Amino acid sequence: MSLQAVLPDTISGLLGLEGILGDVVGGLVGAFLIANIMLIMTAFAGPWAKRKITAAFGDRIAVNRIGPFGLLTIVTDAVRLLSKELIVPEGVDRPAWDLAPMVIPFSALLGFAVIPMGNGIQLADPETGLAFAFAAASIASLGIVMTGYASNNKFSLIGALRAVASNIAYEIPLVVTAASVVIFAGSLRMSEIVAVQAEPLLSVAGVTIPTWFAFVNPFAFALFIIANLAEVGRNPFDIPEAPTEIVAGFQTEYSSVYFVLIYLGEFIHIFLGGAIAATLFLGGPAGPVLPGFVWFTIKIWAFFLFTQWARSAIPRLRVDQFLEIGWKGMLVLSFANLVLTAIIVGVIV
Amino acid sequence: MIGILKGMAVTLRHALDGETFTVEYPETAPEVSPRFRGVHKFSQERCIWCRQCENVCPNDTIQIVQDDKRNGEQYNLHIGQCIYCRLCEEVCPVDAILLTQNFEFTADTKNDFVYNKEQLKNVPWYKDIDPLNSRNPDRNAWIGEGEGEVDYQ
Amino acid sequence: MSLEEQQSDDPAELESGVSRGDELADLLGDLVVGREEHLNAPGLVIRPDEVQDALFKLRDEAGFDHLSCVTAQEYEDRYESIYHLTKFDDRTDEVSVVVPTSKDNPVSQSAEPVFRTADWHEREAYDLVGIQYEDHPDLRRILLPDTWQGHPLGLDYDQDRPQIATLREHANPLEEDHRAGDSNTMYINIGPHHPATHGVLHVETVVDGEQVVDLDSDIGYLHRCEEQMCQQGTYRHQIMPYPDRWDYISAGLLNEWAYARTAEDLADIEVPEYAQIIRTMGAELCRIASHMIALGTFALDVYGDFTAIFMYAMRDREIVQNILEDLTGQRMMFNYFRLGGVVWDLPEPREEFFEKIRDFIDELPQALEEYHDMITSNEILQARTVGTGVLPPEVAKSYGATGPVARGSGIDYDLRRDDSYGYYDELDWDVVVEDGCDNFSRLLVRMREVEESAKIIQQCVDLLEDWPEDERNIQANVPRTLKPEEDTEIYRAVEGAKGELGIYIRADGTDKPARFKIRSPCFSNLQTLPEMSEGEYIPDMIASLGSLDIVLGEVDR
Repeated sequence: MSLQAVLPDTISGLLGLEGILGDVVGGLVGAFLIANIMLIMTAFAGPWAKRKITAAFGDRIAVNRIGPFGLLTIVTDAVRLLSKELIVPEGVDRPAWDLAPMVIPFSALLGFAVIPMGNGIQLADPETGLAFAFAAASIASLGIVMTGYASNNKFSLIGALRAVASNIAYEIPLVVTAASVVIFAGSLRMSEIVAVQAEPLLSVAGVTIPTWFAFVNPFAFALFIIANLAEVGRNPFDIPEAPTEIVAGFQTEYSSVYFVLIYLGEFIHIFLGGAIAATLFLGGPAGPVLPGFVWFTIKIWAFFLFTQWARSAIPRLRVDQFLEIGWKGMLVLSFANLVLTAIIVGVIV
Repeated sequence: MIGILKGMAVTLRHALDGETFTVEYPETAPEVSPRFRGVHKFSQERCIWCRQCENVCPNDTIQIVQDDKRNGEQYNLHIGQCIYCRLCEEVCPVDAILLTQNFEFTADTKNDFVYNKEQLKNVPWYKDIDPLNSRNPDRNAWIGEGEGEVDYQ
Repeated sequence: MSLEEQQSDDPAELESGVSRGDELADLLGDLVVGREEHLNAPGLVIRPDEVQDALFKLRDEAGFDHLSCVTAQEYEDRYESIYHLTKFDDRTDEVSVVVPTSKDNPVSQSAEPVFRTADWHEREAYDLVGIQYEDHPDLRRILLPDTWQGHPLGLDYDQDRPQIATLREHANPLEEDHRAGDSNTMYINIGPHHPATHGVLHVETVVDGEQVVDLDSDIGYLHRCEEQMCQQGTYRHQIMPYPDRWDYISAGLLNEWAYARTAEDLADIEVPEYAQIIRTMGAELCRIASHMIALGTFALDVYGDFTAIFMYAMRDREIVQNILEDLTGQRMMFNYFRLGGVVWDLPEPREEFFEKIRDFIDELPQALEEYHDMITSNEILQARTVGTGVLPPEVAKSYGATGPVARGSGIDYDLRRDDSYGYYDELDWDVVVEDGCDNFSRLLVRMREVEESAKIIQQCVDLLEDWPEDERNIQANVPRTLKPEEDTEIYRAVEGAKGELGIYIRADGTDKPARFKIRSPCFSNLQTLPEMSEGEYIPDMIASLGSLDIVLGEVDR
């Protein structure tokens, strides 16, 4: 299987640069491009799409005053949030408190480095791409712990502890479920996982259904989506934030720019969750007619929509029930899934 | 699991039917019922300065100043303090004070809400509805017929 | 006044020839040092150091298991605490235990060992009137700040004196404060600004990890002197606008009815039947609106966001509010009842109005079906609410819990039926009781009560529609100024949206009440929170608080 050229190479090729200079410039420009794509998506998702979607579920109209469909709300929201005073509470642990709002969005952005978004948009394609994506995504937990510890606020502390507990409980099922995909694909390299899914599974009335792992193993897909919801901290698993219980959880004390960064980080994290799910189970950027990048965008937005839908319809679990489901339910099921997949793959192949 | 799916189905149905319950407020002015109690309108021509409204007002919102011959000089009403109980309208024997359906009032400071009789006279009708007409069927139980045409302008 | 009449109306007395007061006085024997007659009940005067003996006897031997309210007041020559006792099984059987204390040494024995609910009620009496209660476990101020000087409902209280409290007296906000000491627990202030406290409630919580070890509700942030405001208004007009503002979450007409009923019984006013039907209909509409909010906010507390269910509940409440606006002229602060009736007949054209109500009633089952799909049949919600916030019936009774909270604990107690007023006894409806004692039961009770209210409204509309045109009498003939006789006292309650909303009035011969005491259901219900939450998780505490459906405006008054 020939590897597609990754984005930095394409860029340095276009600029006619070679050697280390080409790598550096290509990498930087590529990273800048991808980060901006994600930030733009988040800008749409955070102040605008989230409101529209929630409103639709609640029979409301929602933002429609500024600009077409209220789209310029994004601009006004940005101005509003950035012009607010940054309140630094008494007794915060300064370096950690300042660092945490950067760690959270950057860890999520980092995960996108290895995601193939179609049309050759992929920053790097290392052999251990999947492991890298998970590792990068879970750095966000570190950021959350930092916010909770540094804020000098009891609600933040409880939120952070909850975040740690939920991450440990759900990271394992998440990775184990992903491992079952790796068994199918036989590689950790993202591009290969995508490539494997392009092969036809079966043909029904002239329509070819590809071997997307969501079709091959829907059970693993469901497990992965649930664990993913918990991983990105969305309802019914938004335990670390839990507005009605612990005010705003780990981000209680954050305002202004820092709040925006954390907020952005959460949304990018949702998109990263969607991106990993799409890559592992939905064939990545694959899809008919439209270009790959469009399909990829549609898939991660579908995941975003799903999180919002769940938010409007599913009650939050209590923290002990949540952990119980994680340790006693998800973990067992994910290992069962892994073992079964291994046996089936071993027998068939 | 079925219960969760049922809940998700309900919200999805609501999302897809596209119906909204909220309205775009300034563009779509809400229907206000004829009995609605909003900002007061006062008619000096009708007022006989009996001070009943001042007496009945539960929280001293109305202030009337008379000269030594008991002619009315001032009629002040703090519409920000008012609790819109409509007792003043109820006791008024000549329909001199009326609560319009106008609920839209704003001011920069609390003091701007102290309306004198000129300001009270100029309070607009909401959607040009004269509540006296719409309240007509109910009025006999409470206020006697006023004399002649009502002239608020 | 109608004292004698009311006595002879009592069938039990007609049979035996002995009044209820005599019976109870015999039971207590020497403990009774005098007798009083209140319009609602016989009054037994008890020495201040024998309160517990008397109350224990009344509770254990005569079955008075419900301390509805504690009223405290100051006379020229004495202080007085009145314990309004009644029974959960027979609401019409009432007795007032009157405990006078001297001016120089206003100390009275606490009723807290007999009824847990006396805890907060006596704290309030101490706070506002200044009576000391011996034996009370925790006699602190409850509505006013700890640093307050004087007792505002006392006769010699100077309202114009400024309240000066130095920073030294206040808890210094900048000071390090570790109340939990060396233990492994953590002290958290939940509220007064917290998304789930339904207003400005401050819950001082001690948690061990996620578990609540100890909690204490700090109330009074929304204290607006409602009792005193009513004492300064005339019976005839000026009090009626204020009940709307006690429980301001659409329960206005129910609150107004509490005052209307008390004042009408005090001044012996008959309300025309037609007006009673309108009142009943309006009150039940308010109950639906209020329960919708309770439902929506409870879902909000459990679900965690202002999402679909809250919006749907608000939407249905909005329809009710539109109907109420047509009827009363306001959406929340109705001021629709008058002593002796209501202020307006139904709006013209009547058919249109009936049509509007009918449409709402017809669509309600479908809406409720949606709520059941989204809330009660949801497994996660069941896991969250079934078996959490448990309030056993005995505890609920001791705390004087009423309304949906009591009925969710299996206590079959509803004033609309047990002490009937208005038009309720003529109509066909049921009291909803669930015996799960947990958050889920309280939720279910509210949802089923909405159905019952709809039934009542349906019948009222039918009655009103067929009412002969020339008999539409909305008001009794009530004099312009009411001056009930001096020293008549009455305590009457109605079934408000949150429970038993009682009002005590003492007249002093003027056109304004001398003492106006509000028995707020939320006040008593909120007292049960520690019983329900201690040992549970923080999320359960929040859910329990939501299931109590408190309105801080009514708690603090």
